[in-house]
Amino acid sequence: MENIAFGKEEILKSGKGEEERVLLAAENIYKYFPGVVALNNVTYDLMKGEIHGLLGQNGAGKSTLLKILYGLYKPDRGRILFRGREIKLKSPMDARKLGIVLVHQEITLLPDLSVLENIALLGYMWRNWASRFDRGKISNRVEKALEDLGFDVNLRTRARDLSVTEKMLIQIAAALTIDAKVLLLDEPTSPMTPKEIDRLVESMKRLASRGVGIAFVTHRVTEAVEICDRITILRNGSKVATLRSSEASVRELVRLMLGRDIGEIYIVRERESKTSTKTSILVEIKDLHTIPRTALEIPLKGINVKIHKGEIVAVVGLIGSGKKELGRSLIGLSNIVSGDILFDGNRVKIKSPADALKLGILYIPEDRRYEGLIPDFTVAQNMDISSLWRMTMLSFIIDYKRERLTAADMIKRLNIASPGPETKVTKLSGGNQQKTLIARAMLAEAKLVILDEPTIGIDIGSKAEIRRIAYKYSRERGVSLLILTSDVDEALGIADRIYVIKDGVIIAEHINSEELSREELIAEMVGLKKVGGV
Amino acid sequence: MARVKTAFRSLAIIYSSYEILRPLIPLIILIIASIVIAPHYFLTPTNVKVVLMQSTPLSIIATGEMLVILKGSVDLSAGSVQAAAAMLAAIVTRSTGNVALAVASAIAIGLLAGAVNGLLVTKFKIYSFVATLAGLVIWRAFVIVISQGKLIYGLSQYSLLTNDWGTYIPLGFILALAIIALVYVVLTRTTFGRYIYGIGSNEESVRLAGVRADLVKFLSFTIAGALYGVGGIMLIAMGGLAVDPWSAQGNELNAIASCVIGGIPLIGGVGSPLGPLMGAATLTILNNILVLVGITELALQQTVVGIVLIAAAASLTRGLRYVK
Repeated sequence: MENIAFGKEEILKSGKGEEERVLLAAENIYKYFPGVVALNNVTYDLMKGEIHGLLGQNGAGKSTLLKILYGLYKPDRGRILFRGREIKLKSPMDARKLGIVLVHQEITLLPDLSVLENIALLGYMWRNWASRFDRGKISNRVEKALEDLGFDVNLRTRARDLSVTEKMLIQIAAALTIDAKVLLLDEPTSPMTPKEIDRLVESMKRLASRGVGIAFVTHRVTEAVEICDRITILRNGSKVATLRSSEASVRELVRLMLGRDIGEIYIVRERESKTSTKTSILVEIKDLHTIPRTALEIPLKGINVKIHKGEIVAVVGLIGSGKKELGRSLIGLSNIVSGDILFDGNRVKIKSPADALKLGILYIPEDRRYEGLIPDFTVAQNMDISSLWRMTMLSFIIDYKRERLTAADMIKRLNIASPGPETKVTKLSGGNQQKTLIARAMLAEAKLVILDEPTIGIDIGSKAEIRRIAYKYSRERGVSLLILTSDVDEALGIADRIYVIKDGVIIAEHINSEELSREELIAEMVGLKKVGGV
Repeated sequence: MARVKTAFRSLAIIYSSYEILRPLIPLIILIIASIVIAPHYFLTPTNVKVVLMQSTPLSIIATGEMLVILKGSVDLSAGSVQAAAAMLAAIVTRSTGNVALAVASAIAIGLLAGAVNGLLVTKFKIYSFVATLAGLVIWRAFVIVISQGKLIYGLSQYSLLTNDWGTYIPLGFILALAIIALVYVVLTRTTFGRYIYGIGSNEESVRLAGVRADLVKFLSFTIAGALYGVGGIMLIAMGGLAVDPWSAQGNELNAIASCVIGGIPLIGGVGSPLGPLMGAATLTILNNILVLVGITELALQQTVVGIVLIAAAASLTRGLRYVK
C-alpha cells in the first residue's frame, strides 16, 4: 500500500490543554477485509465542539473508520481513546453508552410512526425499553433536544411526511436525547439539496458550539471546507493529511483527495494510436433523460455520448455526478423517459443486463463484492458466468475440462495470482478479483465493456496492470471500452475520448486528450471551471 | 501425538472440502448408533424396507425444496401441493382406472403450482415466503374441495411401487434415487444448475453478468412443483394405498428440515444436491429408532427432531458474524 507523506501534514501537538479537549481518538488503525486493506495506519482525533471532516473518494475508508469508532467493526490493529482513556468497543451498544452515536447514511426511521415515537425509539427507549411509555416525560426531553438543534417540528407528524434533512435531524435529535457527546455523520448530505444542506449545517454548528464533537464524512470538497473546522483526507485506506480548513484551498484538497500517483506508469495509451475515431460508431446515446428510482440515484439530463468501434472512452466525474447512472442506462437499469440508444446504427431498447449481453454489452460494476463477484464460486466459475454456453456440449452440459483449461489460460494471460482455476474467488486480493472480472468480459467476447471505477480500492501496482490489460485487450480485439472513473489520471492515461459529467449533464468533451492538462480536467470535474455545454 | 494431530487435521480438510460429507457423516454415525442401540430390530429386512419406504416421499419433495432453497428462496407450498397431486391422482385412478393418466395429472398439477409460485415471485415480486404461504393454504383448500373431505382408499394399483421382489428395496425408492440422480446431474453439470447456485450466492452479480435470472427462478420453482407431484404419487404408495385430505400436512417443514440437515443453508448458494436425500434419511431413521427403542410419544419424538435440526443449522452457520 502507498503511504506517501505530504509536507502539509499537520500533527497536533499534544499539549496539556489540547489533550483534555480531545474527545475521541483513533490511533494507528488497521483494518483488513478479504482481499482489501480498508484502513492502513489511520490516525484521527475529534475534539470537543469541533466539526472534523473525513474527506475521500468511494472506497477510501471513511465509512469503515466511522464503523470502527461506533463499534460495528473491530480494528485489526490500533487503539481507540475516549477522553484519553483506551476503550474497547465490542458493539454499538458500548459506543452509545459512552455517548458516541452514528447517524446512518440510509435513514433508519419507521415511516408510520410520529416524530416523537421515532425519537423515543431511537434514543430514549434504547436504555429504557421495558419502561412505561410516558408521553409527557419523553416529549419534554425530545422538545429540549429539538431546541438544541434549532429544529422546529410538530411532534405528531408522521416520519414519512418529512423531508430528507428533517429525517436526518430527527436521527440527530434522537442521539441528543441520550446525551450524545460524539456524533458520527456518514455522508448525511449526499441526498440533500443545497438549501437542505444549509439547514443541516446550521444545526451542526449549533451543536458544536454546545461542545458536541461531530465527525462528518463527505466526498464533496467545497462542502468540507465550508462546514468543517479540520479536515482529514483519506485515500486508498491511508490518511493523506489533516488540515485546518481555514488554511486549505479547494484545489489543494482536491489534489490530496484524488492523489498524484506515480505518473508515467499510468500512461498506457500509445501515442500513435488515435485511429479508432475513424471507425464507425458502435454505440450512440442521444439526448438521454432518466428519472431516478431511488433517492440516491442521479437523474441524467440530456446525455449525448458516442463510442466508436475499438475506441476507449472515459466518462470522468465524482460520485453523484451521474456517471454510474450513465453506464447503467446501457444495461437496462434505469428509467429512461426520453432519448435514444443506437447500437450499430439501430435504435435498441435494452431492458435488462441479459438484453445488453445479447447485443454484446457487459457491465463490470464498481462494487466488486456485492455486484460483481459470486462469492461461493471458484475463479473459473466467476470468469465464465457470462459465457457459460461457450463451455458446453449441446449448449447446456458444462464441459468441465474446457472450463478449467480456459480459466487456467486466462489466469496465465492476465497474470492473476491464484493457485488455480478452482480456488474460491474470495481468496484472491482485490486486484486479482478485478482481473477475474475483466477475464469475464474477455470470455464473453463483448463488443462494449463498461468498466465502472475499474481500479478503485486497488493497490498501485495492480492499478497500472489492470489499465494495461484493458488497453491491450481493446486494441488487439477492437473492443470498445467505456470507463467510468473519478480518477483523472486513469482517464488521461488510457482514453481516446474523455467526457466530463457533472450533475447528470455532460459538461465537456475532449477528443484529443494529449493536449488536455490534468489540472484543467480536475477543475472541470469539480466544477471550479465553467465550461460551455457540449 | 503429533502424528495423531496431523491425521486429524487432514481429516478435517477432507471433511470441509467435500460438501456431501457434512450430512453423510452424521447419517453414518446415526446408522451405526442405531445398530448398536437396537441390534435385533434395526437391521431386520422388514425394518430396512420400512425405513426406505418412509423416506421415499420425503426425499423427493426435499429434493424439490432444495431447488428453491439453493437460490435463496423458500417454498412453503410443498406439502399442500404434494397432497393435491396425491388426491388428484387418487380421484383420477378411482374414476377412470387409468394409472398413467393419474400420474400425468399429478405431475401436471405440480408443474402448475410451481409455475404459479415462480410467476408470483419473479413477475409480481412477492417474497417467496409469502407467495408460497398462500400456496400452502390454497392447495390444501383445493384438496378438501375435490375430495369433499373424504378419505380415498383402495388404490391397489400403486402397490407396484412398494414391491421389492424379495430384495427389501422397494421400487419406489429406486425410482426416487433415479430422479435424485437426475437432479444431481442437472445441478452440477448444466448451465441451469450453475445459475441456480449463482443466484443463491449473489443474485445481483449474476443478473449484472447478463444471466436471465427470472427465467432460471421460474423454472426452478416449476421443476420443484413437478417433484412435489411425484412425491404425491409416492405418498399414495407408501401411505397405505390411500389418501387422506390432511395427508402430507407439515411436509413442507420436513422438507426444509431435510435440506438444512442435508447441508443446504437457507440463504442458498452452497450445498450438495444429494444433501436433502441424506437429510430425509436422517429424519426417517431418527423417527424409526425412537419407535424401536420404545419412545412412541409424539411430543418426545418431535422434540428430538427439533434438537437435531438446531444442531444441523448451527453447524451450517458456523463462522458467520450474524444471521437473520
